[in-house]
Amino acid sequence: MLLGKSRLTEALRRAAQSSPADQTLLAAQRSSQTTLRFSAGQIHQNLHEEDLTIWIKVACGHRSGVATTSSFKQDALRKAVDAAVAIAHLSGKQAFPSFSTAPPKEIVPSIETYFPDTVRRPLEETVRMIYGLSERSRKAGMSLAGSIVLGESELSVIGSRGLAQYRPFTSGGLRLVATEGSASGFAAQSFRNIAEMDEEALLESAWGTCRLNRHPQSIPVGKYDVLLEPEAVAEILEWMGTIGFGAKQLQERTSFLTGRLGEKIMDRKISIFDDGSDPAGLAVPFDLEGVPKQRVPLIDKGRAIGVVYDSHYAKLVHRRSTGHALPYDEFEGPLPTNLVMEGGSTPRAQLLKKLGRGLWIRRFHYVNGLLDTHEALMTGLTRDGTFLVKNGKVAGAVKNLRFTQSMLEAFSKVAALSKERRRVADPAQGFSSVVVPALILRDFTFTGQTR
Amino acid sequence: MAPPRITHLLSETCRLLKRRGVDYADLRWVEQLHEELLVQNLQARHISTSTTEGVCIRVLVQGAWGYASSCRLDAEGLRHTADKALEMARAVAQHTSTRVKLQPVPPVKARYETPLEVDPFRVERQKKLDYLMWACHVLKDHDSIKTATALLEFYQTHKLFCSTEGSFIEQKTTESGGMLEATAMLGSEVQRRSFPTANSSSLRQAGYEHVKALDFVGEAARVRKEAVSLLRAKECPSEVTTVILLPDQLILQLHESCGHPVELDRALGQELSFAGGSFLTPETLGKYRYGSKRVNITADAGLPNGCGTFAYDDEGVAAQRVPVIRDGLFVEYLSSRESAPRIGRRSTGAMRADGWNAVPIVRMTNVSLEPGAGTLEDLVRDTRKGILMATNKSWSIDDRRLNFQFGTEIAWEIRDGKIGQVLKNPVYTGITPEFWGSCSAVAGKEEWKLYGVPNCAKGEPVQLAHVGHGASPARFEKVRVGKR
Repeated sequence: MLLGKSRLTEALRRAAQSSPADQTLLAAQRSSQTTLRFSAGQIHQNLHEEDLTIWIKVACGHRSGVATTSSFKQDALRKAVDAAVAIAHLSGKQAFPSFSTAPPKEIVPSIETYFPDTVRRPLEETVRMIYGLSERSRKAGMSLAGSIVLGESELSVIGSRGLAQYRPFTSGGLRLVATEGSASGFAAQSFRNIAEMDEEALLESAWGTCRLNRHPQSIPVGKYDVLLEPEAVAEILEWMGTIGFGAKQLQERTSFLTGRLGEKIMDRKISIFDDGSDPAGLAVPFDLEGVPKQRVPLIDKGRAIGVVYDSHYAKLVHRRSTGHALPYDEFEGPLPTNLVMEGGSTPRAQLLKKLGRGLWIRRFHYVNGLLDTHEALMTGLTRDGTFLVKNGKVAGAVKNLRFTQSMLEAFSKVAALSKERRRVADPAQGFSSVVVPALILRDFTFTGQTR
Repeated sequence: MAPPRITHLLSETCRLLKRRGVDYADLRWVEQLHEELLVQNLQARHISTSTTEGVCIRVLVQGAWGYASSCRLDAEGLRHTADKALEMARAVAQHTSTRVKLQPVPPVKARYETPLEVDPFRVERQKKLDYLMWACHVLKDHDSIKTATALLEFYQTHKLFCSTEGSFIEQKTTESGGMLEATAMLGSEVQRRSFPTANSSSLRQAGYEHVKALDFVGEAARVRKEAVSLLRAKECPSEVTTVILLPDQLILQLHESCGHPVELDRALGQELSFAGGSFLTPETLGKYRYGSKRVNITADAGLPNGCGTFAYDDEGVAAQRVPVIRDGLFVEYLSSRESAPRIGRRSTGAMRADGWNAVPIVRMTNVSLEPGAGTLEDLVRDTRKGILMATNKSWSIDDRRLNFQFGTEIAWEIRDGKIGQVLKNPVYTGITPEFWGSCSAVAGKEEWKLYGVPNCAKGEPVQLAHVGHGASPARFEKVRVGKR
């Protein structure tokens, strides 16, 4: 159960008002979430979790301090505020107070983020659905594993000079992995509104990939044209967000955008932006400093044009925050949380034909983007479906492959993007997502193969 | 001692669950303190403290599990949480045909506390900052070092576990650690060196005395010098050669290619939708040649100072020292009271949750490579041509834990038994059993080092466990190496 707007914001407001600091900012995230995990016809984990985290940031002159607590009782909040103030007196003096506790000038976009049906669904109905899907899989000769998450949360940010943001959210998702021997197929969906959940389509997709994935063969490593499904594209884009689209990475000169802003670094078919108000993703209208999220173009028609900012990094370069502050106890700097890649003109159904000859990849596993962040060089493996395509048709399954590839180079060789895009997100997290099309990339480099 | 109100609340709720007719229930209260101080380029850039406290209730009703967690710690809150757990279990019990069989364990009343000399939470923050500033000053002392970072981190986790079987276990662990990182730049060349590990703090279950022992100030000059040396270093060649891994890389190799695949829940398919499966399937137990005869890997939950050290796991099973690979043979899983009986074994005591709001799952404890004989110098001396690699930089492995690729921050050429020039951007790749099968030497216990990894991700919702790994330098033959 949520605490509700008045109860939560009032507790935060009282703490802000009684704070001895010059400015006090409190952000609270309350969540109530049910997760069911299943495999081999059994639900093996079923957790109902009620959680609360309150981050406190204070400014004392030009110094700031941070503390976190899991209680919204006034004595706990006062203790945490005092801890933050004590820290502020120790911290380094900054040239400016970096955050604001006054209401922002920007308007918080009006987006629907709470859909009551997502959390009203009786637990028994969800359990019955899982056992039904598992039993049908068994009868179809496959085993089913996966998870379903359904939950609600509320986010509030209160500042001592009048800042007040509150928004409730619902979120959920279903992940399915169908297996038959060593063959597997994956399908997943995440949503704010459970009405979007289509378990039948997901089951068909997981089954279909699993059946196609039987008897995988080895192929020589080397360069192949690839059709990447949205899950694969999303994993790459998330890594690019982490290593390149944040102001800290740009300032510390580790971003692949370093020295390249304004330059064409990808194919002109590629446009990427971050937009917390786009309902195609899991929209979140403001960040943990209460700043409304701006639509931030990052790559426009292949040209590098921007990064995202929080108040601290914005002040360093005399800009305004774009609304991308993370929890105050993180020091990763601002990061994009609602990445979107624009779609293309090719219907998804025509992409295999357009690929002609190459590899069709359902998703990646364990990608690592730290090899050379300047070139966005990444390595990772394919998972749950890698197929050799000849003459626009699937010619057979292939054993999982390792790629080692600069994504700047890969995104400079784009043959096509699907018109349709898909939202990819971790439903248990619920506050970030990626919306991407399927992509055809030429000359993608594979450097190894698993057994 | 746990607060009396918590002891009372847990005992009362345990009694309530017994009255409600559960087959089994356990309650786990957790309070965790975390403090983090980061100095970057001689500025105190980030200091934070956090406190989180709550309870997780796990019930078994008609052979089905139900879990609920909450940070509401009063009688009504616990009753509500208990009701939620019962509701979860009953909903599943109606449909399941397979009943959970839990391995019985004797009830225990016990207390455990990390032995420590200096409680890090009682050390003044100014003292910690001074230490970091000094280290950062040494680290930054070169024009090419653009970012010098020094970090300290401390955790204190207080747990109270009680079960309807009569167990009552209180455990308080304290972890201390940190890291140094120097980023050097020359034109477009960017190189990084870290200590003791990269990307996150290396923790030990210990007090502030561990911070002193880390000797950041003494190590900072070496870290700086190596970062600068990488700027003009030769690229690591692409070839098949002999590789010697230092412990600060070997621990990640152990973690990814041994620690995860010996988790029984993975082997039974319970992580398929997220982390993946394991090539070490139950029928391979006791038969599969995982590595050469020199490879002995042990999961030891009682290892002094280990990040994965405890007296009892999160379902009341006593800590154990378990050989998982003996003389190269796969001989045991990390397991739980539920998973172990499914393959006719007993729990090896590895059920852990990363906090009050998480369910216990099978986790690594301290998974270490047992020492062999000799020194690093001996290993190098016996190598005609090869590469010495140190400090993990990047990591990737497939969903069954077979095909891996690791990058390290630095490498050195080995020629005719001597360490030669520095090599930059090294990576190596292989297939797990082939790689461990090529292990030709493990150095002795004098070279053995213990590290703590605080960010092992597993489960849905994702949990980040603190696990320990120890290793001596080891040598591997015919390894594919290359530049990044």
